[in-house]
Amino acid sequence: MKKKTGVKIAALLMSFSLVAAGCGNSNNSAAGDSKTLKVWFMGTADTVEPIAEMYEAANPGITVDVQAIPWDTAHDKLLTAVASKNGPDVVQMGTTWVPEFAAAGALKDLTPYIEQYPSMKAENFFEGAVETTKYEDQTVGIPFYVETRAMFYRTDLLSEVGYPEGPKTWDELKDASRKLVEKGGAGHYALPIEGKDSIYPVIFAWQNGSDIIDANRQPQFNQPAYVETVDFLKSFYDEGLSPKGTDLDTVAAFKDGKMAMFISGPWMIQTVKDKAPEIDGKWAVTTLPAKVTNTSSIGGADLSIFNYSKNPDEAAKFIAFMAEQEAQLKYYETSNSMPALKAAWSNEALSDPMIAAFGKQLENSRPAPTVKEYEEIAQAAMAAFEQITIGGADTQTELDKLNDKANELLGNK
Amino acid sequence: MVKQLNKHKVPYLFIAPAVILLTLFSIIPIIIALVISFTDMDLVGLADYSNISGIGFSNYIDIFKDPIFLKSMYNTLIYVVIGVPMVVIASIAVALLLNYGTGWLFKSFRVIYYMPSITNIVAVAVVWGYLYNGSYGLFNYVLSWFGLPAQQWLQDPVLAKFSLILLAFWKSIGLNMIIFLAALQGIPRSYYEAAEIDGATGWKKLRYITVPLLGFATFFVTITTLIGWIQFFEEPLVMTKGGPLNATMSMALFIYNNGFQLSKFGYAASGSFVLFIIIIIATLIQFAVKKKEVEY
Repeated sequence: MKKKTGVKIAALLMSFSLVAAGCGNSNNSAAGDSKTLKVWFMGTADTVEPIAEMYEAANPGITVDVQAIPWDTAHDKLLTAVASKNGPDVVQMGTTWVPEFAAAGALKDLTPYIEQYPSMKAENFFEGAVETTKYEDQTVGIPFYVETRAMFYRTDLLSEVGYPEGPKTWDELKDASRKLVEKGGAGHYALPIEGKDSIYPVIFAWQNGSDIIDANRQPQFNQPAYVETVDFLKSFYDEGLSPKGTDLDTVAAFKDGKMAMFISGPWMIQTVKDKAPEIDGKWAVTTLPAKVTNTSSIGGADLSIFNYSKNPDEAAKFIAFMAEQEAQLKYYETSNSMPALKAAWSNEALSDPMIAAFGKQLENSRPAPTVKEYEEIAQAAMAAFEQITIGGADTQTELDKLNDKANELLGNK
Repeated sequence: MVKQLNKHKVPYLFIAPAVILLTLFSIIPIIIALVISFTDMDLVGLADYSNISGIGFSNYIDIFKDPIFLKSMYNTLIYVVIGVPMVVIASIAVALLLNYGTGWLFKSFRVIYYMPSITNIVAVAVVWGYLYNGSYGLFNYVLSWFGLPAQQWLQDPVLAKFSLILLAFWKSIGLNMIIFLAALQGIPRSYYEAAEIDGATGWKKLRYITVPLLGFATFFVTITTLIGWIQFFEEPLVMTKGGPLNATMSMALFIYNNGFQLSKFGYAASGSFVLFIIIIIATLIQFAVKKKEVEY
C-alpha cells in the first residue's frame, strides 16, 4: 500500500513537472527566435496585417507577429507587460500614454536609430505629433498616425441661419447656435459639449490663449483665460444650446437635424456616411472656430520599442518601414487613420475635402500636456468641469480647488 | 509532525490541488496586496522595484480623507441596502411561482429568468444603454404614454444609482432563483401532506414549512449576494464610469480607477484592503445572526 502511494505521488509530480516544462519550452522558443518580431497594435488586426505582410515580403526570413489589442483593454495589458518585463518588440502607444510609460522606463530612446534611418527624422512629421514622442530629453516614439478634432456641420441648416461656411469665430458659433435652437424649437440643440472627453475644454482653453500646464509645470486652471473658457462652455448648457446628458446619439441627432454641429475626429466621417446616408451632401467638415487662435488637439498613436525587447535593432527597422509613405498610405487605406507623415498628404487618396479639412486643422494643433501626471489631472479637470456645468458649483471657486489639486499632483509646493 | 503528516498522507494529497490553487491565486496575492498597500508603488516602481518605498499608513490615512472614496463607500452602502433584500425576496418569489408547475410554460420561464445571468455584461450594457437613453430610450417612450416627463436615467445623480440597481437586480435574479428552486424541490412532499391533514392553508404552509426549510438556501444566497453587491463593479464601469458627479462610483470601481487607470497601485491596494475588511465583517455578522436561528 505504502509503495503504491509513493508511485502515485511520483507520477503526479512528474505530470506537474511535465506541464511546467512544457510552459518553459514554449517561452524559450519565443524569446530565443530572433526572426520573429512581436508587434502590439491597438484596434483590429485586419488594418495592420496587410502592412505586416508587405514588410515580410520585403524582408525574407522575418515573421511579424501582429497582436491586436482593443483600445479599452490596452492600458491594462501594457501595465501587465511592464510588470512582467515581458512584452512585445514594437508597441503602438496612444499619444497620451507616452509620458507615463516613458517615465517608467518602458520605452527605448530612439535617438541613435533616428540617425540611422532617414524616414524617422522629426521634420517628416507634423510638429504636434513629434511633440508627443518626446519625454524629457529623449525621443521614445515615431509618429504613426494622427487625429485631430474639427467641426462637422449641416450645410443646409447652417445656411438657413446665415453661416453656409460654418461659424468662424466663437461669437459666430454662439450666434449660430442661438439661431439654430430658436428655429428648431423644443428638443433641438446646436452642438454637444463633451464634458466626458478630457480634451474638449482643453481645446477651447487653447483657443482662448490659455495654457493648461506651462513649461515650469505650473497649472493654469484658475487663470482668467481658462475661467473665461469654462464660463463660455457653461453658457451653452445654461442657454439650452447643448444637451446636458451625454446619451443623445450624436449621429442620429445630426441626421434628424436636432443637432446641426458637433466637434469630433476623422473617424466620424465614415460613421456619419454609414449611419446617415440620407443627409449625404448636406454636411461638411471645417476647421474649428477661433477666439485668439483656432487651435485643435492632436492625438493618434506613436510606434515605440518596448525597453525589454530582445531585438531592438529589428524593431527599429520595422518602425522605419512603418514611417515610410508606402506603409502610411496603406494604413490610411485599411483603417482611415490619417498619416502622420506630411509628404503622404500630397497623395490624391487624401484629396477628399473632408479629409483635407482635417489636414488643414492639423497645421494648427497641439498635443495634450506631456507630463506623466497628466492623466490624473485630466480626470480631476473633468470632474471639476462636471461640478460646474451640472453640479452648479461656482466657476472660480471650483477652478481654484482644481488648481490646488493639480499643484499637489505635480508635486509643487 | 512528520509522523502526523505521513499518517494523513492520503487526505492531504486529496486536498493538495485545492490548497495549492488557493494559496497561489488567492492567499499569496492577498498578502502581496497587503504589503503593497503600505508602499507608494506606481508605474515607475513597477518597472524598477528600487523606486518603491514604504510609507507606513499614509495611504490609509489619505484614502479616508479622499472625498471620492467616502462617496464610493456611501454609494456602495446604498447599493447593498436596497439591492440585496430586493434580489433575495424577488428570487424567492420567482422560484415559488415557477415551482407551481412543470409544464412547458414553467420550463421556458426558467430559461427566460436565467438568461440575464449568462448574458455578457457588455451586450447588456449596450441594450440597457438604449433603454435608458434620454431621447430615444424605451423607458422614456413608455413614460410619454402616461404624459410623464422624460427622465435622464443615467445623467441624473440620484436616478442613475437606481437605474444601475435595477439593471443589476434584473441580472442577478436568475442564478439565485435556480438555487431556491433546487432547495424547494428538496423539501419532502410528506411535510405538506401532514400539514394538509392538520388543515393548514396555503399561506400557513408557506410560512411554517417552506420558508423555514429554505433557511440554508436563503443564508447562502444572502451571503453571496451581499458579497457580490459590496463588490459592485461591472455595472457602473460599463454604464456610467462612476459618473455623474461620482454618484454611481462604487468602492470596487474606485479601486480599479486608481490602480489600473491612474497606476497608483499602493493607494488602490489600501482601498481594496478596506473593502476586504468590510466584506469580512459583513460575512461574520451574517454567520453570527445565522447561529441564533433554529436548525432544522
